[in-house]
Amino acid sequence: MSSFALERDLATQGRVITALAKRALRVQLRRAQFLLPSFLLPLLLLAVVASGTSAAQQLPGFPNTGSYVGFVVSGTIMQGTLLAGLMAGIAIAGDIEGGFFDRLLSAPIHRVSIVLGRVLGTALIGMVQAILFVSVALLMGADFQGGVIGVALTVLLAALSASAAAGLGATIALRTGSLSLMQNLFPFVFVLLFTAPAFFPRALLNPVLETISVVNPLSYVVEGMRGALFDSAALGSVWAGFAAGIGSVVFTCALAVWAMRSRLSS
Amino acid sequence: MISAQDGTAGADATILVEGLERVYSSGLRAVDGVDLAVAAGEIYGFLGPNGAGKSTTVRILTTLLRPTGGHASVAGYDVVKEASQVRRSIGVALQEAALDPLMTGRELLELQGALHGLRRAESKLRAEELLERVDLVAAAERLLNTYSGGMRRRLDLAMALVHRPNVLFLDEPTTGLDPVSRSSLWTELRKLNDEGTTIFLTTQYLEEAEQLADRVGIIDHGKIVAEGTPQELGRLVGEPGLYVKLIDQSQCERARDLLAVHGAVSDREAGGLTIRTSLGARAIAPIVRTLDEAQIEVDAVEVEEPTLDDVFIAVTGHRAEDAIEEDS
Repeated sequence: MSSFALERDLATQGRVITALAKRALRVQLRRAQFLLPSFLLPLLLLAVVASGTSAAQQLPGFPNTGSYVGFVVSGTIMQGTLLAGLMAGIAIAGDIEGGFFDRLLSAPIHRVSIVLGRVLGTALIGMVQAILFVSVALLMGADFQGGVIGVALTVLLAALSASAAAGLGATIALRTGSLSLMQNLFPFVFVLLFTAPAFFPRALLNPVLETISVVNPLSYVVEGMRGALFDSAALGSVWAGFAAGIGSVVFTCALAVWAMRSRLSS
Repeated sequence: MISAQDGTAGADATILVEGLERVYSSGLRAVDGVDLAVAAGEIYGFLGPNGAGKSTTVRILTTLLRPTGGHASVAGYDVVKEASQVRRSIGVALQEAALDPLMTGRELLELQGALHGLRRAESKLRAEELLERVDLVAAAERLLNTYSGGMRRRLDLAMALVHRPNVLFLDEPTTGLDPVSRSSLWTELRKLNDEGTTIFLTTQYLEEAEQLADRVGIIDHGKIVAEGTPQELGRLVGEPGLYVKLIDQSQCERARDLLAVHGAVSDREAGGLTIRTSLGARAIAPIVRTLDEAQIEVDAVEVEEPTLDDVFIAVTGHRAEDAIEEDS
């Protein structure tokens, strides 16, 4: 392929990915059953956790973050992005069962663009979630020393987390093509969440969870958000968060592309 | 296969299928050695009951499914080796108008434009043209979940036309539609064909194939069992029939004996007689005269051309509806 043809092809695929991301975002924001888990449920949990378990910050070894809600908001963002990723998987399974996926496949576009469009749409949802949840935490009395830069880094980490979750959701949806199976995966979101230091610092997790949290890449992402929000390397490394986030996105998107290829060759 | 055709689309066919096979991992042989050729500008009706292999064939021709044997080309491109070029050349409207219910008609058309490489402004313009063409301008900003079946089908067709394809694949485009919506879609398809679009149409409806198709292929259990123009296929059934309805049905037996000299006479379940004769409509006058001389009063005489339903029975040994029930 000549460099001109390659550029033209890249521009076309860029337009395709943008159009598919726009659709993902638009449909997700129009569907109440998608909005509730992605936005309302994490906010409810934030309110409950912040008010009901705030005494946890009195535990020895709990870092001083001013307010407990400020500490747990990273976990809330993580929860929201994981649920948004699951919703992405549900939407793909719905497209497969409803036949819309065939429409996408019959268009002259790269198969990878279908996955990337959905991932990009979910990343944008993750960014909106992060801005919303941080704003709510501020209204609830949180104080973030990281300032605007800290929030911006957190928003980017949320985009990575949502993208990785969308990649995983897409992989399962493309492998199974089953809407009902996808809808039954909700509990696994909480398994992923509680095996990362989403609501408690890693040192306060029980030994089994602490061990698992070491290999759970979400641990580094959630700690990275905390480090960025409080401008504190002691709470988490932002760079480790980005490394884990980018690694997870690449890995889960590669899995989704593989799942797409397997689906099409079967 | 029973072939009734005078000539085939031949080497310059827009759609060429040779020995096409698709065997699923379950062992089901959905398509079993299909051969067909569709010429540019033709409407080809692919007729058969549910489960006959129509949709599987269309999925292979539209690159959504790989064949397990044989080969096929569309618009000169191999459906396996040159799938991307095939996709650029075809428009596809699959069964049951798969449209996102949470998008508006305009959004879907613009998305389809982007999927086919149109720039934003170009895509908007094309969406507007197509909305006008399928008479959906007033409903353009409404979510799809408020559209009727007919509106969804019209939008589905419009989406297939976004990139001005030369070949259009329509999988059961009017299934579930009311007669008015069906007729309006037929009009649009005829218009498209007049503009030069080659149309490959699958249907369960014999009437639809008769109304639209230049040629018809009948598929049953994965094999093409008959092919030709509707008229050619009609000839496979035999001589045309004349339906004779009497005012006094009790005279049917007498009339049957008298009319035997004009052709093969059989009773109709609903009353009256059918006379098969090579003379067709020219036999009406002698038949009426015979009955008049015997003082048997005639209520009506109608010429009955063989339908594709008759052809289906003749070539498969069963009715299309029976096969649908067997499959379901």
